[in-house]
Amino acid sequence: MAKVAIVTDSNSGITQKEAKALGVYVLPMPFTVDNETYLEDVNLTQKEFYEKLKGDADIFTSQPSPDAVMKLWDEILKEYDEIVHIPMSSGLSGSCQTAMMLAQDYEDKVYVVNNQRISVTQRQSVLDALELSKRGKTAAEIEKILIEDKFNSSIYITLDTLYYLKKGGRLTPAVAAIGTLLRLKPVLQIQGEKLDTFAKARTTKQGKAIMMDAIKNDMENRFKTDYTGMHLQIAHTENEEAAEQLKAELLELYPGSEIVINPLSLSVSCHIGPGALAIAVCKKMNYDEM
Amino acid sequence: MAINSIDAKLLAKMFLAGAKNLESKKEWINELNVFPVPDGDTGTNMTMTIMSAAKEVAAAMENGSMKEICKAISGGSLRGARGNSGVILSQLFRGFTKRIAEEDTITVVILAEACERAVETAYKAVMKPKEGTILTVAKGAAEKAKELAADENMELESFVGQVIEHAKYVLSLTPEMLPVLKQAGVVDSGGQGLVEVLNGAYDALMGKEIDYTISEVKNTQAGAGQMSSSYGVQAEMDIKFGYCTEFIIMLNKTFTAKMEKDFKAFLESIGDSIVCVADEDVVKVHVHTNDPGLAIQRALTYGGLSNMKIDNMRLEHEEKLFKMAEKETAQVEASSAPVQDEPAKEVGFLAVSVGEGVNEIFKSLGVDYIIEGGQTMNPSTADILDAVDKVNAETIFILPNNKNIILAANQAAELMTDKNLLVIPTKTIPQGITAVINYVPDLSVDENEEAMIAEIGNVKTGQVTYAVRDTMIDDKEIKMGDYMGIGDAGILTVGKDMEAITLGMVDAMCDEDSELISIYYGCDVEEDDAEALREKVEAAHPNCDVELQYGGQPIYYYVVSVE
Repeated sequence: MAKVAIVTDSNSGITQKEAKALGVYVLPMPFTVDNETYLEDVNLTQKEFYEKLKGDADIFTSQPSPDAVMKLWDEILKEYDEIVHIPMSSGLSGSCQTAMMLAQDYEDKVYVVNNQRISVTQRQSVLDALELSKRGKTAAEIEKILIEDKFNSSIYITLDTLYYLKKGGRLTPAVAAIGTLLRLKPVLQIQGEKLDTFAKARTTKQGKAIMMDAIKNDMENRFKTDYTGMHLQIAHTENEEAAEQLKAELLELYPGSEIVINPLSLSVSCHIGPGALAIAVCKKMNYDEM
Repeated sequence: MAINSIDAKLLAKMFLAGAKNLESKKEWINELNVFPVPDGDTGTNMTMTIMSAAKEVAAAMENGSMKEICKAISGGSLRGARGNSGVILSQLFRGFTKRIAEEDTITVVILAEACERAVETAYKAVMKPKEGTILTVAKGAAEKAKELAADENMELESFVGQVIEHAKYVLSLTPEMLPVLKQAGVVDSGGQGLVEVLNGAYDALMGKEIDYTISEVKNTQAGAGQMSSSYGVQAEMDIKFGYCTEFIIMLNKTFTAKMEKDFKAFLESIGDSIVCVADEDVVKVHVHTNDPGLAIQRALTYGGLSNMKIDNMRLEHEEKLFKMAEKETAQVEASSAPVQDEPAKEVGFLAVSVGEGVNEIFKSLGVDYIIEGGQTMNPSTADILDAVDKVNAETIFILPNNKNIILAANQAAELMTDKNLLVIPTKTIPQGITAVINYVPDLSVDENEEAMIAEIGNVKTGQVTYAVRDTMIDDKEIKMGDYMGIGDAGILTVGKDMEAITLGMVDAMCDEDSELISIYYGCDVEEDDAEALREKVEAAHPNCDVELQYGGQPIYYYVVSVE
């Protein structure tokens, strides 16, 4: 049986420490802050990042350098036969494109999964891939399964402010169309590669209600399963308390769920700013049927 | 000579006489409004509704069949309907004419049946019919008519006379049915309007000398086309003083009894229809004159002026047409490509709004077209239908943003055939803002309609304005010129200090769940004062975010929402 390694990037929210415990590999995303380069979770903590962000520093994200990617792969392949590489959504970054290009030189060894996940849903893909590899699936098989599963997730994010989205210039036309005369808290959605406005709220409470309705609606109409067939996840940008509160509210609605809370990865955070709250759902994979 | 049936021509005469009589009592009916807010509603709205029909009736009168006259009454009033009482009046006419349209002459029995039909139709048009209103008066009249018609020997003139007497009697009971009326010491204004229409019609029936100016002038101008409307016609009527002039003097010195007497005498020397009511620090003035400047100059010697309004009563209509033409030109200039060349989008928004700030907010939230209007000028069903034409969408949500416009919007939705017009019954500007914010493009029209209607219940609105007369309401004594903070369910605060009234109103609106207080300041408020108010609201409600926006709305100094 081929030995398959699972690789992702720090957008999955999986820390270096957690990666070691799980037995997966995490590429840190590089950040340029006021012309200095840092690596997420290596020499840049969440706390430092938000301090710099709020201090109005110029922060740019970039993709992992090809050199870093290839070095990691080469290292892994000394020990493993194949790699499943799960980068952040190709809709949000060129990392996936680059990885796919690099993978051409690693024919039949590295499979880059273009399943357009981010944050907690990307994390779920990693966990699924890990489980499938333990069950003896090959890298090619795992890639196929993850791609088929691509749209079985959705994320809703309520932003505290439009400031960072505007500053970063990363406004899709729909987001840009949101009125700016009133203070609004946009609720964004990520479905596959689509990052778009879903709704608008005036208060965080309203935003939370909109997100909770949206996942309920998705479960009923899109995924056609009750909550026991779903992974529920919460992500946030420096908003731990609100996230815990939301978890308690979700547990009341969906008792017995295992709800993961993760800080939103920094490459997303730098565009949406602190104070955001997100709910994500992923359809549970039935490993035995795969 | 006793008349025992009514033919088409007599019906037309009676209708015009009713319309004229209502018009002559317009200002007085406006004064009957329970809420002493400066929003001249009921009389104006009902008059504009009936005048829209009178115009068509006058045109059809000479040779019109019963059917044609009925169509003019029903269609004209339906399209011209403004405000709640206007809409109800138009529905009464619609039901009434449905019964008589197929007859050549109307007898007592038919008349009684038509009254019954009228009441039935009007009740259906109102979602929650309230007793003690125009509906009750109409119902009382119809019941009396039925009772009288059972007598085979009933004579027409006596019948009509008795029905009207009964309508007046029911009207006199309205204060007993609606406590707000009793406290304010008035009868229902819509009911009064209906009685005035009936009075006029009765006079015509009795052959009383009536000046049918509307019809006569109409005939002489038959070739003039659209421009010769009831308003153009008004100019030919006995208007001695052409400018309706209104303003409020904010006194900078004590207004002594002698000054008041002198001022009134002066106004009498330059015009008529004078109202001059003095309170501690304001004087409300209303005069019809040919030289408004004289009134204003004299008033300036007593203090500053506010809420100034001068209408040319002779040209009111032409002016309106001019404005509409202007608006349309602007519309054409604004859109580089003709609307009809683009494919219709799925969903569009139409909002009734007033104030440049509020208009901008609606536009920035994606509202396609704004109908200017609101408290002082309720758009008619026809205005709404015109606006709908300007929005190139399959489904159009309309936000009336005023409780007095919802019915006209509903009526427009019913008349609309080629587009799906859905009314979100927003009663205030903040409710309208909430509705459009909560629109979710990904959801279906039905889901959105449901969600928007649910959400508007979650926003509380408070509005600060001034009282136009002394009254008693919700057990609060109100003096003319007082500031009032009006919440969703009634008056929250009353007093002389605008800021204190506003702060008190906000306090009354907030509870422990409140998160966001939005303040929209009107065109009569200075930015600095509004900013100072915001700071005080913030200090009083540390758990809430407070947002200040320029609304630019007239009449309401502050519109506040709490959610």
